[in-house]
Amino acid sequence: MTTIPIHPAGKPAYNLSRQAREAEIVLDHITDDFDGNPAAMQYFYDLFRRVYIQGEALAHEGKLIGTTCIQAPDELIYAMGGTPVRLCNGSYHYDQIGADFMPAKSCSLVKATLGMLHADNPIPRIGKPDLIVNPTTCDQKKKASAMIEDMGYAVYDLEMPNVKDSEEARLYWQRSVRQFAQKLRQVTGRKLTKKNLKAAMARTSRAQAAFRTLHNFRKASPALMLGKDVFLVTNAFFFDDIERWIAAVEKLNAELAQRQADGYQAAQRRAPRILFTGSPPVFPNLKLPLLIEEAGGVVVADETCSANRMLYDMTAVDEWLLHDMVDGLADKYLKPCTCPIFTRNDDRRRRLLELAASFGVDGVVYQAFAGCQVYEMEQKSVAAALNAKGIAMLYIETDYSPDDHGQLTTRIEAFLESIKTRKRKRA
Amino acid sequence: MNYFAGLDIGSTAIKVALINDEGEIVGVHVTDSGSLFHKNAKEALRVLLERHGVAREQVKYLIATGYGRKLFKEADDSISEITANAIGAHEVGKAFGGVRTIINIGGQDSKAIEIDATGSVSNFAMNDKCAAGTGRFLDVAARNLDLDLEELGDYHFNSKGAPLTINSTCTVFAESEIIGLLANGHGKEEIVAGIHYSIAKRTVRLTKRVGIENRVYFDGGPALNKGLVAAIQDELQRELVVPEHPQTTTAFGAAILARSEFLAEAA
Repeated sequence: MTTIPIHPAGKPAYNLSRQAREAEIVLDHITDDFDGNPAAMQYFYDLFRRVYIQGEALAHEGKLIGTTCIQAPDELIYAMGGTPVRLCNGSYHYDQIGADFMPAKSCSLVKATLGMLHADNPIPRIGKPDLIVNPTTCDQKKKASAMIEDMGYAVYDLEMPNVKDSEEARLYWQRSVRQFAQKLRQVTGRKLTKKNLKAAMARTSRAQAAFRTLHNFRKASPALMLGKDVFLVTNAFFFDDIERWIAAVEKLNAELAQRQADGYQAAQRRAPRILFTGSPPVFPNLKLPLLIEEAGGVVVADETCSANRMLYDMTAVDEWLLHDMVDGLADKYLKPCTCPIFTRNDDRRRRLLELAASFGVDGVVYQAFAGCQVYEMEQKSVAAALNAKGIAMLYIETDYSPDDHGQLTTRIEAFLESIKTRKRKRA
Repeated sequence: MNYFAGLDIGSTAIKVALINDEGEIVGVHVTDSGSLFHKNAKEALRVLLERHGVAREQVKYLIATGYGRKLFKEADDSISEITANAIGAHEVGKAFGGVRTIINIGGQDSKAIEIDATGSVSNFAMNDKCAAGTGRFLDVAARNLDLDLEELGDYHFNSKGAPLTINSTCTVFAESEIIGLLANGHGKEEIVAGIHYSIAKRTVRLTKRVGIENRVYFDGGPALNKGLVAAIQDELQRELVVPEHPQTTTAFGAAILARSEFLAEAA
C-alpha cells in the first residue's frame, strides 16, 4: 500500500498555495489591468507580493501585539516598545476555514480572521502574537474572543461602551484604555512614561499626516490616482513597518504633487466620483472598489475602518501629563469613531455628507458584509440622509466569495450610468 | 433605410429588438440562451434580420445588454440591463400615460427600478445573489409540480381554497417544501397560487425599497404568467402595466439608445 503524502516534497502546502493564488489574481489585476499606476506604488505592489504570495516573514521590534480592530490604541503599544499588527483578514480562503467557527450567516471579515489565526502557517507571516487585543465592538468580534483564546493565543478584551456621546461612556472608555496600558506593562515588562508615549504619539502623528496629505490629493478633479491603490496603501499599514510605510507614502505624495503640477489625469474628467463606505475592504477582498474602477468610476474617498477612519484624527492633549495624555488618547479613539456598533451614529452621516461635499462626490457605494447586521441596519438612515442632499447611494450586500461577480457588475454599471445621465442633464 | 438593434443576452433567454429610422419597432425575437451565449445571440440576430428582410449592414448601431453583453464583441457598445430596461419601459409606458416604477423579473434576478419623468434611472434595487423570487424559482416549482410554465396561470385561477403559504425564501428549500405539500395531498392549484404569492411578497418588498410611484410597469419573462401578475397586483394593491411583449422591453430600450447614439454621433 502506498501512502499519498499530504504535502508533496518541494511544494508548498495546499492551503498556502490556495491563499497565495487568491492574492496573486487580485494583485495581478490591480497592477496589470489598469493604466497609469503611480511609480511610487511599486513599493506597495512588491510588499504585497512578498508578504501575501511569497509568504515572506515579517520582522517586528519588541513584543508583537495583534489587534482585531482600529479601536486598539497603537500609541500605547509603540510606547512600551511593542509592534502592533492589525489581524483583520480579507482572504476568501481563510473565510471558508473560519466558517467552522461561526454561523454560516456571519461576517466574512471575522470568519477570515479566525480562519487565518487557526491556520498552521498564517499569511501574513507575522509570527505568533504575544497578545491579541480584541476591542469589544460587534457581537461577532465579542464572541470571537474566546474562540481565539481556545486556539492557544493570549487574548485581551478591551472593553468598549455601546454608547458614544454620554459622559459615562467616555469615562468608562478612559478607564478601559488605562487598564489596557496596565496589561501591556505586564506583557512587555516596560513602563509607560510621558516620554515614550509622547514619542509614540509623534510617530503615529507622522503616519497620519502622510495619509492626510494623500487623502487631500484625492480632492483633485480629474483624479490623480485610483482608489484601488489607496486601499493597498492603507492595508499595508496593517502590518508594514511604520517608518518604511511613512517613507513610501511620502514618496507617493511627492509623485502626486508632480502629477498635479503636470495636469495629469488618472481618470476621465466625467468619470463618476465615488465615496465608498460600510464594511471595510481588506486585501485581497478589494472586489467592490475594483469593480467600480473597472466600470469607469473612481473611488475618491472612503469612510471605512480599513482606510480613512484609521488615520484621519490626531490626538488632542490639554496637559502633557501622563494621565491626561492617556485620557486624550482615549478620546481620540472614541469620539470620532463612526462604527455602527454605537446606539446612535449621527456622526457617520455628518462625516459622509462632509466627505461628499469636499471631494466632489457624485455617488456613494455602501458595502455591507452579509451578517454584519449593524451596517445592514444603518443603510436606510444613511441613504435617507444622502438622498436628502441629492446624492445617490448604491447599497450592496456581499461577502468574500467571488460568485456574485456578474450581479455586482450589472448593479455598479447601472449605478454609474445613472450618475452619468444625471450629470449630462445638469451640464 | 437605417435600422438599429438592441440585443439583450439574459441568463435564460436572448431577446432582440429592431427599430427603424423613426424609432418604430420593426420586430422582436426571443430564443433560449442555452450554453453558447455568443453563438445563439448571433443566430437570434440573424433570424430576426432575415424575417424582416434587413441586411446586417443596414443595422447602423447595435447595443448589447444583459448578463452576456460583454461577450458580444460585434456590438457597437454595451449598457447595463437596468439602464436599458428603464429606457424601454419609459417609451412603452407612454401609451399608458407614463410609468415611474418598473418591476422586472428575469431568469436569475429580480429588480425594482424607479425612473424620473425623463426616463432616467433615479434608484434601483436588486435581489442579493439568491434565485428566490425569480424566473428560475418558477421553473423549479413548475418542474416539481409536473407542469409547463404556460400552465401556471390557469392553475392559479383555478385554485379553490386559499393559496397555500410557501415560507422558504430559498429556491432549494422551497423545492422540498413544495414536495412536502404535495405529499400531504394538497392540490396543485393551491400550491401554484402559494408560489405566486410568495414571489409577489418578495417582489413588493424589493419595490418598496426604491419607492412606489404612480404607475407600476411589470416586465420580464414571468410577466407572461397571468397568475403571478394577479398575485403582485393583489400584494401591491394597485394595477400593473404589463406590455404586450414583456420579455423584450430591455432589448427595445437598448435599440432606442442605439438609435440616439447613432444620431448623436452623426450630428
